[in-house]
Amino acid sequence: MPKRKLDPLPSAAFQILLSLADEEKHGYAIMRQIQEQTGGRTRLGPGTLYSSIESLLQEGLIEEVGAHSDAELGHERRRYYRITQSGRKLARQEAEKMADVLRVARARKILRGDYV
Amino acid sequence: MSEKMYALLLQLYPLQFREAYGDEALQLLRDRARDERGFMPQLRLWLNLLGDLAVSIPREYWREEGLIGAAARPNLCGAPGFQVLESDGPRLGAQFCAGVLSLAGFVLLLIVIGNSWNYLLPGAWFEQLQVLGEARTAGSEAHLLPASFGLAQTQSAQPNPQDATSAIVQAFGTHNVVMFGEAHGNRQEYEWLCKLVGTAGFADRVDDIVVEFGNSLYQKSVDRYIAGEDVPLEQVRKAWRNVIGSVGPPSPVYEQFYRAVREANMKRRGKHRMRLLLGDPYGDWEKINDAEGLGPYLVHRDEWYAQVVKDEVLAKNHRALLIMGAGHFLRRNGPGLVEGQIRAAGANPYLVVFGTNAVGGYDDLDKRFDAWGLPAIVALSGSWVGDLPAMPVVSGGTGPATQLKLSDAADALLYVGPRDGLTQLRMPRSELDGTPYGIEMARRLTILMGRPGNFLYDQPEAPQFERLQPHPNAGGGPPMGAPPKSIHDPLPPRPPSQ
Repeated sequence: MPKRKLDPLPSAAFQILLSLADEEKHGYAIMRQIQEQTGGRTRLGPGTLYSSIESLLQEGLIEEVGAHSDAELGHERRRYYRITQSGRKLARQEAEKMADVLRVARARKILRGDYV
Repeated sequence: MSEKMYALLLQLYPLQFREAYGDEALQLLRDRARDERGFMPQLRLWLNLLGDLAVSIPREYWREEGLIGAAARPNLCGAPGFQVLESDGPRLGAQFCAGVLSLAGFVLLLIVIGNSWNYLLPGAWFEQLQVLGEARTAGSEAHLLPASFGLAQTQSAQPNPQDATSAIVQAFGTHNVVMFGEAHGNRQEYEWLCKLVGTAGFADRVDDIVVEFGNSLYQKSVDRYIAGEDVPLEQVRKAWRNVIGSVGPPSPVYEQFYRAVREANMKRRGKHRMRLLLGDPYGDWEKINDAEGLGPYLVHRDEWYAQVVKDEVLAKNHRALLIMGAGHFLRRNGPGLVEGQIRAAGANPYLVVFGTNAVGGYDDLDKRFDAWGLPAIVALSGSWVGDLPAMPVVSGGTGPATQLKLSDAADALLYVGPRDGLTQLRMPRSELDGTPYGIEMARRLTILMGRPGNFLYDQPEAPQFERLQPHPNAGGGPPMGAPPKSIHDPLPPRPPSQ
């Protein structure tokens, strides 16, 4: 596949990095985690999910850690992915950028309440 | 039904995407279908899938390098900001494609979700779609079918040759082990094998490749070499140069294959890497001085190969391609030793053997093979290919015909070209004539066969299957000695890997 650049980070790729922040996961677990961390608003389809995973792999932001089954989901082999150091660093930078924007939005009284 | 429908829709993605993630996408659909039961959840699932198809298919086809990044450029240098791909309008072509796909998908959705499949479609419609897909012949990537279709063929007299690489990749969708019975040193076959291991769809699915042409004493060096480390060639080539069962110097195709696996791994940044497992017994030629020392290793070659598969592949729940001479793998009266042992250990193997268009005597070549795209793999059950006698086809017409049918001897046949175009690569004379390795080779052959034999050839490439000629020294050569008593001994303990 052609090499893709992830600068800046698309939202799907950012969500995947966040979903992998605590532990390695397979594709379906990533999808469920993203659904949970976005309050059900984002449900990545297979095409978007694996297209983003491929981009992240090519950029060295995540890595494949092998294939094994998930006890909760039966005996099917699943490929597991984990975030790399550079992936974690990029996710942090992206989150900080968003936090900056949110602070500006709050200062301008566009956002109210307990955001951030 | 939903999965089959989605498998068909997956065909709309580019080949590389399908090969790399087709299985995972189907797996994700199964997971969601299991967890999202009921009419409304199913409806939401399919709407989500169709929306995903409409957006991601054009993106996969038309996105140029860096497009994702270009779609979200910072607005002002240094100013904090973020923008996502979804905020940029897709191109006109993408919009058109998405519209067509959405319309088609919506109609299909109504059919599937509304449980009115049998009412709205002629009963055989879906089956005809499948047959159409299966009827496409090898040589074109467009005929690829999802792995869930396996290698099943319609029961007819006409074979269904498939692109060989795609067929192997598909086989791993339904089998954890694919056994390939090779023709030693064949150039065309190994050109395909080198291409196969570099294919993303193969490398994504396969954990291990177990080879006959590698002495397991050198597994450590090969592991480092295959992983891309700098290993001196003098050290790593011992793996293929010191094979216990090799009669004569190894063909250059084997070194090429090791290199191909290494190069494929080095391109897989972030992804799992294939391991090359050496299936030849761990005998050390530097310590073998006579037939008695060689005997235990020589007679336990198949057992050791099977043990490597059991320990390193099956026990780890891996998927593997097994490569060994076709004679080791052919089913004669049932599975051979390797297949029998790995089946008992839980493997579900699919057996492919190398074959030719020689279907009778040496001059009896079957023209029907000429219509196939190359290289092709054809499933043997239910076609005239499977009804051919196994031995002339596999041996290129150099041996007598046997009663054994091809379909009883294997699951599928690899065809890389007409018999008379097949060539064998040989180690160049310059690497053997008077060299230390040539002298060592003469010593090994004397131990193995009782005489040094002739392993020097002027031509580095020769026909793979030459017409058998009466040997000029037939009956006049020194008789081979009696087999050593040590062939009844078990394998000695395994020394540390080098």
